[in-house]
Amino acid sequence: MAENSGTDPTVDSNVVENAASDGTMIVVTVKTPKDKEEIAISEDSSVAQFKEEISKRFNAKQDQLVLIFAGKILKDGDTLNQHGIKDGLTVHLVIKTAPKTTVGGTSQSSASSSGTPQANSSINPSAVPNASTTPGTGPTPASTQPPNLLSGFGDLSSLSGMGMGSANFMEMQQQMQRQLMSNPEMLSQIMDNPLVQNMMSNPDLMRQMIVTNPQMQQLMERNPEISHMLNNPELMRQTMELARNPAMMQEMMRNQDRALSNLESIPGGYNALRRMYTDIQEPMFSAAREQFGNNPFSALGGNLDSGVQPSRTENREPLPNPWGPPGTSPSESRGTGASTTTTSSAGGTAPSASNPLGINASGLGNGVFGSPGMQSLMQQISENPQLMQNMLSAPYMRSMMQSLAQNPELASQGSNPTAATNPSQQQQQLMQQMLQMFAGGGGGSLTLTPEVRFQQQLDQLSAMGFINREANLQALIATGGDINAAIERLLGSQPS
Amino acid sequence: MWINLPRASAFPCCNQPPTMLTCALPLLSDKMAVAAGSGVKVPRNFRLLEELEEGQKGVGDGTVSWGLEDDEDMTLTRWRGMIIGPPRTIYENRMYSLKVECGPRYPEAPPFVRFVTKINLNGVHNSNGVVDTRAVSALAKWQNSYSIRVVLQELRRLMMCKENMKLPQPPEGQIYTN
Repeated sequence: MAENSGTDPTVDSNVVENAASDGTMIVVTVKTPKDKEEIAISEDSSVAQFKEEISKRFNAKQDQLVLIFAGKILKDGDTLNQHGIKDGLTVHLVIKTAPKTTVGGTSQSSASSSGTPQANSSINPSAVPNASTTPGTGPTPASTQPPNLLSGFGDLSSLSGMGMGSANFMEMQQQMQRQLMSNPEMLSQIMDNPLVQNMMSNPDLMRQMIVTNPQMQQLMERNPEISHMLNNPELMRQTMELARNPAMMQEMMRNQDRALSNLESIPGGYNALRRMYTDIQEPMFSAAREQFGNNPFSALGGNLDSGVQPSRTENREPLPNPWGPPGTSPSESRGTGASTTTTSSAGGTAPSASNPLGINASGLGNGVFGSPGMQSLMQQISENPQLMQNMLSAPYMRSMMQSLAQNPELASQGSNPTAATNPSQQQQQLMQQMLQMFAGGGGGSLTLTPEVRFQQQLDQLSAMGFINREANLQALIATGGDINAAIERLLGSQPS
Repeated sequence: MWINLPRASAFPCCNQPPTMLTCALPLLSDKMAVAAGSGVKVPRNFRLLEELEEGQKGVGDGTVSWGLEDDEDMTLTRWRGMIIGPPRTIYENRMYSLKVECGPRYPEAPPFVRFVTKINLNGVHNSNGVVDTRAVSALAKWQNSYSIRVVLQELRRLMMCKENMKLPQPPEGQIYTN
């Protein structure tokens, strides 16, 4: 009944391939939830050989294939005969999208599960069912793409290397992001900007942005808890609330840090923490750190590895003032030349449990415009209208423009009474407007360095006898201009 | 009278274990269709043989599979099922193995179903994977026109319910030992 009729063209073409195996050829239907193929194979062949055929036909790797017949999974070592697979019968196929070990093997995800009782799953975010294969099969697609958390913002995948020479939207995004990361004040200003808040209040958009980042996809592959988190709208909303209110976020981070240190004191707790760190945080940090690693401009700030060092080395910075006005205590002292330490205080650069992105607090220069990198960037943009064009055409820009139009206050910033006739000039102005807008409507404070801002206080301090201008400045920055608190700080640190 | 008819006599052409009967089955299903249509109770073994055939031919949408646990089992009692976890749920990409036992009163009485692969699903006992008959409507309101396929598909549907689709699951590959 399973004779090779010879009139079946499929069988004929496959006879050559299966020449090595004896026995009659049978045609077996292989069915996936989406697809159906008829595959001719020798009756005596093994499941492994069968899988080989299937992998060719379905364009999938052999170890991704799982075959089911009559309610049983076919193991590679079995033969078709063993399971009674005959001509005309149907075998079910499941192509696993994740390269983890197949059913029956202990998957690595169980090892990476954190100490919490959350169970593992191999769920893939539904938003990117196809794209998830990319991080699975090619673990470093990011090698061709500098990692970028903001890549969800109108991701233009055209890339032409690093360096200022490339007129490339991705470049600009990256640099902007670096600036962002390095200056918490700018971050809070950006957050305060109603435009950004508008965007953030849309949970779906946020989720999309996060999810489409290949880095995040990798993370989510390895840590299903993250995808859990993203899938939970309640949690997303909460996180966004936090992100919107930097003061609250810092508050929460402090609480988390304190809770964690309590955990440490529980016997065995330290191990759990350590496990948690290695399993969850490391991938996230390495993802975040890669940006700093690839960043040729990180030298600009004079503060280098602090993003990488865990906060175990000696810490000379004064601890944040828990009773200080919110939003000011975590702003770190700048890495001025005099400061020899490159470590950071709690809640600062070193990625802690509560600060997974390791937001680097040592400023590169206050504000977006302070850094030479940013300046040349702007120059480059104004010179290259193409880049401008690219930037404007990015989808998120459109939504920004929309909200811009809706918000008269912001629009007034955008409109420039002195209309320039020269188009390049116009663009330049527009760019400046926009960037200024990013930095927030907080007036000209952005362009002032702390020295300028605290000039008056500095004078007062030096009049009182605090000679060390550097220390004064640091204290003032830490306390946000509060002289009394700064004095206390200085007095506290003087004996050391 | 029908019920006790020995299987062998129904197939004068071959007297072999069920798996070898696929060649004769088209004949059987015709008979059964006629029998069922006229309201006659179809014998257990005939029913189960037909289900065996369907399992081997992959009737259905390809998301569940079933077959005899042991091909030499003449009583056609112990079956194995497989459910492919539905997409966009926490069960996605996993395959769940089940044991289905069709008692002597099948198909008048529903089969006993239990999961072999560990699963966290409402209606499945956490300790041994036994499916609670009251929780699965196909089992609770069993009709003799139902089949193993129906039960498996119903369980898969349950996995897609809101209350189940996000339940945290044990690590892949674990099975119930009792």
